[in-house]
Amino acid sequence: MEKLFLILILFPLAGAIAVMAADQKASADAGQKSIWNNVRDIAAMLTGVAEFALMCILAFSGMGSELYVPGVCGMGLRFCLDGFRMVYGLVAAFMWMMTLLFSREYLSHEEHLGRYYFFQLVTLAATLGVFLSSDLFTTFVFFEVMSFTSYVWVVQEETKGAIKAAETYLAVAVIGGMVLLMGLFLLYNTLGTLEMSKLLPAASACEEKGLLYIAGCCTLVGFGAKAGAFPLHIWLPKAHPVAPAPASALLSGILTKAGIFGVLAVSCNIFLWDKSWGLLIFSIGLCTMFGGALLAVCSIDLKRTLACSSMSQIGFILIGIGMQGILGEENALAVRGTLLHMVNHSLIKLALFMIAGVVVMNLHKLNLNEIRGFGRKKPFLNICFLAGALGISGIPLMNGYVSKTLLHESIVEGIEISAALSGFLKMSEWIFLISGGMTLAYMTKLYIAVFIEENPDKKEQARFEQMKGYMSPLSAFAIGGSAVILPLLGVVPGLLSDRIADLGQSFMHLEGEVHGVSYFSLTNLKGGFISIGIGILLYVGIRKLMMTKKDGVLEYKNCWPKWLDVEELLYRPLLLRILPFLARVVCRILDSLTEGVILFLRKTIYRERNIPHELAEGTEFTHVAGAALDFLRRIKRKILRQPEPEHEISYEHKLAMQREKIMETNAIIQRSLSFGLLLFYVGLVFTLIYLLYLGQG
Amino acid sequence: MNAFYLFLAVLIPCVGGVLNPLIPWKKRSHMLIYLETLVVVNSILVWVLLLNRPEEIFTLVHFTGNLAIAFQLDGLGTVFAGLISFLWPLATLYSFEYMTKEKHEKTFFMFYTVTYGVTLGISLADNFLTMYCFYELLTLVTLPLVMHTLTREAILASRKYLYYSIGGAAFAFIGMIFLLTYGESPDFILGGVMSTATLAEGKNTFLLIYVFSFFGFGVKAAICPLNSWLPQAGVAPTPVTALLHAVAVVKSGAFAIMRLTFYCFGVDFLRGTWAQYLLMGVVMFTIVYGCSMAVKETHLKRRLAYSTISNLSYILFGVVLMTPLGLVGALSHMIFHAFMKICSFFCAGAIMHQTERHYIHQLDGFARKMPKVFAIFTVSALALMGVPGLCGFISKWNLVSAAIESQNPMAYFGIGALLLSALLTAIYMLTIVIRAYFPEKDFNYDTIADVKDPNWMMLLPLTVFAVMIVVFGLCSMPVTELLTAVAAGSF
Repeated sequence: MEKLFLILILFPLAGAIAVMAADQKASADAGQKSIWNNVRDIAAMLTGVAEFALMCILAFSGMGSELYVPGVCGMGLRFCLDGFRMVYGLVAAFMWMMTLLFSREYLSHEEHLGRYYFFQLVTLAATLGVFLSSDLFTTFVFFEVMSFTSYVWVVQEETKGAIKAAETYLAVAVIGGMVLLMGLFLLYNTLGTLEMSKLLPAASACEEKGLLYIAGCCTLVGFGAKAGAFPLHIWLPKAHPVAPAPASALLSGILTKAGIFGVLAVSCNIFLWDKSWGLLIFSIGLCTMFGGALLAVCSIDLKRTLACSSMSQIGFILIGIGMQGILGEENALAVRGTLLHMVNHSLIKLALFMIAGVVVMNLHKLNLNEIRGFGRKKPFLNICFLAGALGISGIPLMNGYVSKTLLHESIVEGIEISAALSGFLKMSEWIFLISGGMTLAYMTKLYIAVFIEENPDKKEQARFEQMKGYMSPLSAFAIGGSAVILPLLGVVPGLLSDRIADLGQSFMHLEGEVHGVSYFSLTNLKGGFISIGIGILLYVGIRKLMMTKKDGVLEYKNCWPKWLDVEELLYRPLLLRILPFLARVVCRILDSLTEGVILFLRKTIYRERNIPHELAEGTEFTHVAGAALDFLRRIKRKILRQPEPEHEISYEHKLAMQREKIMETNAIIQRSLSFGLLLFYVGLVFTLIYLLYLGQG
Repeated sequence: MNAFYLFLAVLIPCVGGVLNPLIPWKKRSHMLIYLETLVVVNSILVWVLLLNRPEEIFTLVHFTGNLAIAFQLDGLGTVFAGLISFLWPLATLYSFEYMTKEKHEKTFFMFYTVTYGVTLGISLADNFLTMYCFYELLTLVTLPLVMHTLTREAILASRKYLYYSIGGAAFAFIGMIFLLTYGESPDFILGGVMSTATLAEGKNTFLLIYVFSFFGFGVKAAICPLNSWLPQAGVAPTPVTALLHAVAVVKSGAFAIMRLTFYCFGVDFLRGTWAQYLLMGVVMFTIVYGCSMAVKETHLKRRLAYSTISNLSYILFGVVLMTPLGLVGALSHMIFHAFMKICSFFCAGAIMHQTERHYIHQLDGFARKMPKVFAIFTVSALALMGVPGLCGFISKWNLVSAAIESQNPMAYFGIGALLLSALLTAIYMLTIVIRAYFPEKDFNYDTIADVKDPNWMMLLPLTVFAVMIVVFGLCSMPVTELLTAVAAGSF
């Protein structure tokens, strides 16, 4: 059974290579109708389906199994399967299967389909690696691979916007990855292990709590960036609108959850029941939840709204994780709420993004004003969208209601338990309810715009309504299959949702039986209805404030706060201008240090002699003497009345030339051997004379 | 095996290289076959020697007292000799194709092959004098290689290279004199050659001398502020830049520093002194500096050269931790960086050779036209960044674990520097990759219609390097174990 872990990870890789090979063949044929195109598509889909089947086999037969692969990547890789990993492994494999089925039609006109499939499958392997890892090191390894391969999804369309968004995505991923690695180093240093099962005892025995918090924060930055938590959410609203719809579904549905998985692994093992840690995550969650919802309300781009909604829902999940810490040991509600909201959000976003994909596939537009009325007379699409929209808005009898109720109840419990925080938590409860209301408001806005209202352009509306075969049966199956689960989870929460929660809760160290929550009791329904009430009010507000009349037609006004882009406002100037400027100043100075010293020395002590210029003619003596002779000659001519000849060389020049000649001859003589010998003999003669003189003396 | 073969391994490339311009080749291919055979035979000889290690020392000349030219093979030498003898035949193969567009091939290959012998001389040296001699020789034989194109730029660069290297060697010379005077033994000994009593007597003097020699050898290892020759030397033909300025020459500097630190002065003496902190600061700064300059640079080869500066300081960071684990980290990065950098340089060379394009902004959309080269370049780029699963990650992991284990307060800043530099590496490598793979939507591919993948002589070395990067990244255990044994002195 242990081998299954490896197969699960290697199989999609093999599939990816096969798909790539088929794509090479297809592009070699160059024809659009090459058989290899079909081979490639079918290979990709089959890989997805087979992977899901494999995951099912592992899930139902390999519970509790573990695998250690020593030596790989330095530290070795560790995998295990518990309830939580099983749930998320299944969710991931399911989502991939559905999106792969959907991709075929969506991307059929794309150029780089082979590349897309290749990276889709590699990311599948990496993501499963993350969710099955039992060691933070392993998590990190797969997490990084996942970040890099998913980059290709964002850049897939290769438009200017896509390249820019992908840049942001990559930057966040790389920076997040580095900070995460830093955190892991610190953890490894203080705790001596990164195995999740050993982290809890090691952390409780650890003396240096300060260091642990720093390490924890580093990992939080890394995982949080991927999850889309405030203030590192910047990639989310940018990447989603430009990525292909099936990729958006995965990015928002499952890749963000990989980040959440990391946050959970840290907070449930190292900071289990830690109040201050809980409060930190709770606050981040609060900002993310409210901020995301607000952005979603303002947006009039279908996919961007969904992206911001993802951000907001991640905030809900983070609030759950935060409440786990705040509530301490009595955190059953928070644990189950977090878990269920993760699963719900993954599945809902899968359906919703694929529906958005259908819109894009047919219209190539995302602006609400332009796609208005697309969904009219398309009952299947309508119902599927409604299932997702109601689910995410937390309407009773839908799946989102269950998890949101649990999260809400956990906050209420927190108010009762902790007196010190009750004020803050009371306020948070209202923000929570308002955010829930906003969820309903923006989903209603989308629903009404796409499925109820008519397009102001009558011709366009007619075209929309006559569209037949706007999606293939395969795509319909993918959407329907994803959407049908949503109400199932909600209508009978005791049957499915509670089971999932029971399975997964041990990951968060919640043991034993948990008494069932009566989801449809009056107190629990109250919270839901308050949210719904707020939502309806807000939607009315939206229609009043965010729609303008233009040529007699109500139009959605773009309220997207462009100026409030944290990336443009803070990150880009800081990272691209201010920091490089400072670094450059320091570098310049040091760079010129050695050269400077050398130059300085060359200019001072080691100055070269001036290169001798062309010698001026003659010397002082020849000038004076020549001038004198010239003067005398002129006087002589004046006295003798001789005429001046036309071309006469002055004595000054003559003498100078003469001198030059002498000097040259001198030089030749001095250099010659005979001159040397001559001097030698002169010396010899002097010596002889001296000796004779001595002899006489 | 007889220790004489050590000398033979140094001699064969030197003599064979010098013979090359003297033989009247009828055809170019004959010369190429001769050279490749020469290099391969020598590499096989080296590997046979590595596997059957001669225990004794081979003394070539004994001048007087403790001055001798002698060769031996110990753990550290094994690693370096193994590395260069693996890379040289592949690099030679690559240069055959590259040099078709350059002039004066005969002399080029003469110096290129002689350099092989000289570098082996450094790795097999038994004592400081021998190493110093070969170290100086290395400067001299590589100088014509830098100057090869004989353009004004090349001559300026080679002059700078000469000044820096000779200046550095002068500082190293001071160290040599001290070591020969005060050392108990002229040979290299793991743990140091000077007795504790001698060291304690003139502690600060010795530290100063150590710092001097460190900077002296550091010129070749391009530590800040002695690095500016390296990016300029990029004017040399790519086989030179790739093999010499990413591996042989610069790593000789790092290797000499390892010898100096671990085998001459001894880490027990140096650890915890002001010298260590000073050097650590310099090295950490160089790490960040090299990366920042690389980000700024727009010339492809110069960008890689700056990246080399930064990565060399990774190695030195491991050295100045002055622990066995630090040495393991340093050695592993020495090996892995050699593969990663030679790989990326060869890709850059392939691009320049095929297309005559030198600047990064000219590379838009190249990946579709040169898929193999860019796939390999991407692998090396990701490895340099330290993406898990590739070899760069392993060596960085080793270095950081060593830093943590050393308990040195300053080492924590080193970790920060490493991570920051990883981030900057991501920026300067990925911008190239992204440009090549994802030009803007309406990019006109007709403008680069002439671009295509090079032939097998270039692709084979590249593929081997890329495969090695992945293999080392996935199963690094044997390497790490070997290096641990080397650092412990048990190999």
